Amino acid sequence: MKKSHYQMFWALAIAIPLLLFFSESALPQQARTLILGAYTVPKEAYQQEIIPAFQKYWLEKTGQSVKFEESYVASGAQARAIISGFEADVAALSLEGDLAKVAEAGLINHDWRARATKGMVTQSVVAIGYRTGNPKGIKDWEDLTQPGVEVIYPNPKTSGGAMWCVNAIYGAGLKLSEAKTGKQDLVFAAKLLHDIQKNVKVMDKSGRESVTTFERGVGDAIVTYENEALLRQFEGVEFPFVVPRATILIENPVAVVDRNVDKHGTRDLAEAFVEFCLTEAAQRSFAKFGLRPVLPNIAEEFKAKFPRPEMLFDMSYLGGWTGVEKTIYGPEGVWTKAVENIATGK
Amino acid sequence: MVRSAVKTIAFRRLPSGDALIKTAVFSYIGLIVILPLLTISMQALGQGFSKIWEDVTQPQAWYALRLTFISAVAMALLNAVTGTAMAWVLVRHDFPGKPIVNSLIDLPFALPTNVTGLMLVVLYGPVSWLGKYLKIHGIEIIYAQPGIILALLFVTFPFVVRSVQPVLMELDKDIEEAASTLGASRFTTFRRVVLPHLMPSILTGVALAFSRALGEFGSVVVVAGNIPMKTQVAPVFIYGEIESYNPRGALAVSLVLLLSSLLILILLNRLQHWGRERGT
Repeated sequence: MKKSHYQMFWALAIAIPLLLFFSESALPQQARTLILGAYTVPKEAYQQEIIPAFQKYWLEKTGQSVKFEESYVASGAQARAIISGFEADVAALSLEGDLAKVAEAGLINHDWRARATKGMVTQSVVAIGYRTGNPKGIKDWEDLTQPGVEVIYPNPKTSGGAMWCVNAIYGAGLKLSEAKTGKQDLVFAAKLLHDIQKNVKVMDKSGRESVTTFERGVGDAIVTYENEALLRQFEGVEFPFVVPRATILIENPVAVVDRNVDKHGTRDLAEAFVEFCLTEAAQRSFAKFGLRPVLPNIAEEFKAKFPRPEMLFDMSYLGGWTGVEKTIYGPEGVWTKAVENIATGK
Repeated sequence: MVRSAVKTIAFRRLPSGDALIKTAVFSYIGLIVILPLLTISMQALGQGFSKIWEDVTQPQAWYALRLTFISAVAMALLNAVTGTAMAWVLVRHDFPGKPIVNSLIDLPFALPTNVTGLMLVVLYGPVSWLGKYLKIHGIEIIYAQPGIILALLFVTFPFVVRSVQPVLMELDKDIEEAASTLGASRFTTFRRVVLPHLMPSILTGVALAFSRALGEFGSVVVVAGNIPMKTQVAPVFIYGEIESYNPRGALAVSLVLLLSSLLILILLNRLQHWGRERGT
């Protein structure tokens, strides 16, 4: 090749990539990215309906296309990930306690609880799943204490979401004794928890894994969330369940992560997305996938699908997340003691 | 002449190839192995001994450690026997499909540990025909301690076999034949001539298997049931403590596992050294 051809070749080889690189950023930015850090349960609801609906809504409203980057892991793990640097713009977690930890770490500096619906986006209740035909006659918590009934639920130590199950049992004990005698009987509630825990042979790392174990044929009853059971039914799997008379209200929060949205410049997007999750259409999508809507009129619409338990209570009945950290899961906590007593044969 | 002078000066300034390699290797080990271990030890020890003791003697932690150690010991003893036997068969015997069997030995290394766990649950679990049959006879494997030992045995299976195999292959048959001509039975030959030779490699394999078993998580967490103070091993306990925002408890128990593994490895290293010095 002639010397001048060589020079031309190298000139083009350097110039073209440079041109492309700079022209890319010279073009008006049409696509934006929103990062969602969520827990595992609402994954189908988000991926199949809510996110596509939001993308359509935002495109029509602003002409911008939004790309979503999502992560779905156990709530506690997600909270820890966000705290240690996963730059989620929106955090949708299973329990208030996990979101509070994210806020404590300095990532959220607005009062997310002050939003409409107390910062919650969906609800559920703790329910008991049983085998087809209900051979063991599971109807309520007491049936799980019977000898010969194998119960499974996730380990509250490895899954924040699993704490709902144990909280539900203990709280139900308190509620039931209160209904009978007018006063909360802590001993009765502790005994209920003890007797059910005694029948537990497998504790998986998370609620989802418990469902998998149950579906594999282990156990006669599973303490799980109503939305897990409904989702499986929606997916065509037989999953009969009963909502006990006394059970806990699971409330799932969502919030904009201030530090990350300010860094990415996506505050408008994130806030719009959170608001979108509280629109009627999104709430209907959640309901379709088994999650109870928080908007009162949509909840009314789905009243038949989501009956209200007669003795429903929430975390405040148990002293909040900081309360149960000590009274149920602390070194002298009810659950810790139950486990120790069972192991030492008391 | 000038060129050779420059060459000598230049090369004298450069570190020798030996020193370079040594530095590189030590930096590598330091970065990949020693630094993380030091960090975790410093963090754990930074809490103070009384806190560590408190965390370790808490009933759930103590039981988890006990279960882990007992299971690891039981598995190590089993593995010592079965691993040696397997190595013996592979080296001294020929059978159809031997190369395949030989490659299968390494399968546990390749399999992800939770797949191992799943495999065991599907085969021996309470819903499988084998599991149901055993349950009728009162034997529970999955979601009970035997399942833990089984999972540990599977994942550490290659250690003893691969440790013993090369030594066995190098063993000069002359010694055994000599013993035989002197009137020793096959068993006596094995016990007094071959076994002492193999002991160092068996111990190495056992040490590796034991240390690995102390920390095994992926397969055990699927197979064990993880009931605290019943079927919860130390690694699962540590995981639970981390997940419930109690890194202090997790660090304390991790430290115990770390020190135990280190101790075992040093001890067995010494044993081997001593064995070699005896000139067996």
